[in-house]
Amino acid sequence: MKNKLKLGLAAIAVSTLGLAGCAQTSDAIVIGSQAYYSNEIVAEAYAQALEEAGYEVERNFSLGQRDVYVPAILEGEVDLFPEYTGNLLQYFNPDASETEASAVYDALTSALPEGLSALAMSPATDQDSYNVTQEFAAANNLSSITDLANLGSVTLGGAPELAERPYGPTGLLSVYGVSVEFLATGDTTVESLVAGDVDMANVYSADPRINQLGLVTLSDPAGLFLSSNLVPIASSALDQGARDAINAVSLAMSADDLVAMNVRSVEEELSAVSNRRRLASFRRPNQLTN
Amino acid sequence: MFDIPDFIGWLLNPENWQGRYGIPNLIQEHLLLSFGAIALATFLALPIGIAIGHFNRGTALVVLLGSASRAIPTMGLLFALVMLLGVQLRELAVVIALVAIAFPPLLAGAYAGISAIEKHIPDSATAQGLTPWQLLRIVEIPLAMPAIIGGFRIAWIQVTSTVVLAPLVGLGGLGFGIIQGLALRNFDQVVASALLIVLVTVLGDQLLGFAQKNQAFRLGHLSGGKNK
Repeated sequence: MKNKLKLGLAAIAVSTLGLAGCAQTSDAIVIGSQAYYSNEIVAEAYAQALEEAGYEVERNFSLGQRDVYVPAILEGEVDLFPEYTGNLLQYFNPDASETEASAVYDALTSALPEGLSALAMSPATDQDSYNVTQEFAAANNLSSITDLANLGSVTLGGAPELAERPYGPTGLLSVYGVSVEFLATGDTTVESLVAGDVDMANVYSADPRINQLGLVTLSDPAGLFLSSNLVPIASSALDQGARDAINAVSLAMSADDLVAMNVRSVEEELSAVSNRRRLASFRRPNQLTN
Repeated sequence: MFDIPDFIGWLLNPENWQGRYGIPNLIQEHLLLSFGAIALATFLALPIGIAIGHFNRGTALVVLLGSASRAIPTMGLLFALVMLLGVQLRELAVVIALVAIAFPPLLAGAYAGISAIEKHIPDSATAQGLTPWQLLRIVEIPLAMPAIIGGFRIAWIQVTSTVVLAPLVGLGGLGFGIIQGLALRNFDQVVASALLIVLVTVLGDQLLGFAQKNQAFRLGHLSGGKNK
């Protein structure tokens, strides 16, 4: 509990610094985003949808990590934020045991603090997933995490925190009976997988490199991973019209659309903030894949 | 702001002293990467620094490198090197990035130590028949030793506090506890790891400081000078 208080104070201090410079104009809907390009693209899609529906919008993107921006949302400095169901649920309730998409969404709705609401959940997901190279999958006949149990030893690469996550080495052992040796590969996880330093890597499912490098994502039949669908988090400042406009975007966006947008962003080096016009097609995500 | 018992508890928990990312392993990796970088930097910087001081040529280089090193974004350099060399050579990438930090203070220390020697000393040594090589070995380098060790102190502090970035590219070292702890919001781990980094840094600096004083005292004693 004391930790939470410390964290809260630190986060408020940081967010006050970060947001102090951004004067809030009258009635504009303030849209925030994480400092993660894919999240920024989605935030921009929300912004354009709202502008098209006649709302005034203020973009306050790239607010950093959850520890920084969640207090800002709670303070009412941000009205709308693209989030991910599983990860946000874990933030508000670290002990949550739900992993299936709709169960996670329901748990999140009740875990959200007063004044915040989750709008309609999008079919698009961006969640942790275990990936292997095509060669490794073919050589060992892998398609699901279950298949790993036949292998003698597996090295798993990922961010340092994966060592302690419920879906990390402990979860693999208890849910699938797969014992892995963990290597904290940090920001070089995908590179380490390709170089053969690790056999399997934790990569976000919407990461364009899965597609570009032809990685094989192992299926997770037992629901080890927390589902993390895109979900807009809104404050009470959003009226019904605005909510409807955002819901239309969420429902239209599929997991493939999200990946396609990320691939485009990476390959064409488009930035959601600096190249707004060229990204206009992201407004109607279903047109993207063409 | 933080509770003392909490992070002491984390430090005392035997679980945190085991395995690949246990405290002993992390300290060892922290030190190995630091020593590796400083050793390589010494090999490069000392001969150049001593030569510049001895011949009194190229002093501009010392100033230039000293200022330039402050403008290098270490993290950017680190990632660029990992991409350039490939992930399998990430240890080398970290060491090279750290060499870039350790090189300027070592160079400056060696140069300053030699060039601060009053001119009549090498002159009289030469007059007594010392060859240039003997002059360097018997007179100049020993006299420059305190300043050279001073360079090592600065290099040590900068390297051991920057090697904290190594976990970002998949290595260990004491920065691991900070990077993992922040992501897990385990602030006891963060504080404990930071404390260990400070401890390693300060301890090394104190040891070098002791060697430096010892050297200065010995010189003063030998020459019967003001340090006696």
